[in-house]
Amino acid sequence: MKLEDMSVLVCDDSMFARKSLCLYIATLGIKNVYEAADGQQAVDQYAEHKPDIVFMDIVMPVITGIDALTKIKEIDPNAKVIMASSVGTQNHLKAAIKAGATDFLQKPISNDQVKQTLENAAKGVI
Amino acid sequence: MFSQFFGGYLLNKGAVTKEQLAKALDEKKVTRMRLGVLAINAGLMTADQVELVNVTQQTVDKRFGDLCVDMGYLKAEQVDELLSKQPTDYLLLGQTLVNMGALSNADFETYINEYREHNQINDDDISGDQSDKLASLVAEFYHFSTSQNAKLYTKYVTLLFKSLIRFVGDDFTPLDASPAKASSGALTIRQNITGAYDGITAISAGTDEYATFAKRFAKDAYVPDPEFDDASVGEFLNVCNGLYAVNESNESGVEISLTPLTTAKNEEMAFDKEVFSIPVQFTFGEVEFLVAFS
Repeated sequence: MKLEDMSVLVCDDSMFARKSLCLYIATLGIKNVYEAADGQQAVDQYAEHKPDIVFMDIVMPVITGIDALTKIKEIDPNAKVIMASSVGTQNHLKAAIKAGATDFLQKPISNDQVKQTLENAAKGVI
Repeated sequence: MFSQFFGGYLLNKGAVTKEQLAKALDEKKVTRMRLGVLAINAGLMTADQVELVNVTQQTVDKRFGDLCVDMGYLKAEQVDELLSKQPTDYLLLGQTLVNMGALSNADFETYINEYREHNQINDDDISGDQSDKLASLVAEFYHFSTSQNAKLYTKYVTLLFKSLIRFVGDDFTPLDASPAKASSGALTIRQNITGAYDGITAISAGTDEYATFAKRFAKDAYVPDPEFDDASVGEFLNVCNGLYAVNESNESGVEISLTPLTTAKNEEMAFDKEVFSIPVQFTFGEVEFLVAFS
């Protein structure tokens, strides 16, 4: 798949985190970018759009990113969900892996990390 | 980070005003070091000797370094060595304050020697940015050793200042901390720490300072909108707390978590227990950081 043909879901309760990530993703030529501001919105948006890849924060209102990941995996066991969180503690890492996260990025996330992740997803490496 | 705390030290000593310090922090980017301050800092010349060379230079058409050699204060190789070293940040601050007339060479000599002796630091510590030394500098400045959870406060505040330098800018001076039961700015954002122990963290500032802080953190992604300011300042707090949580998990095996952010607008945010209020003077104004562990 070409990078610009991918669809991406960005889930973060921080408008700043969503906007800065979406802005950067747009510069890569990706047009189909969806946003969710809490865990439940993330699940709903995933069910509606079935994006190729998801960037998911952990600490979010309504339901956490880990719970949202679990629900998304129930909808689609092949979903590619990258946890993008400020809290990469051992417990969070274990919980994310157990729930089926594809990868874990510790905030602050660099543009290079985002690009690399998207390119790997486009190539089917992750 | 030594220059920020050296600035705070000068302020506490009454050697400079907040305004002078803010101006110096702004101007130090373009300051060029002079040999006199470098020689005083290295302990090779006294302020009196530097002044004498300055006076002599007004009547003789010679460079400062050559005169120092002629007058027997320095050897030629010492001049070369002093001039070849990359100046440390606190030296640039000191030189800027001397250039502005806020400090004399003699004041600089007194305060830099006092500061080093008080904190038992040397130039290697400063240029090497040693984490242990930074932590002890923070603990000493805020007298954390007298409080419960002294280690947690020291670790957290050291990381906070590193994060400020990394994400917001190094043009700030830490001011004295005091106990508080509420935030003091018009806008406040808070995140709690839960898990192995509980904590309160918050950032509070006036509307303009809050927006400037948000703009600096967001950089190109900035959108002038109060909601975005909350998101940006909140993300700084979240990133800083996240790094703290990861350090605790990796270094101490302690698992803590973070709660979603909450805000208070145009009213103080009250806390159910006493917190440390840590005001920081940036060149654009004052920002208050609040933290408590239990």
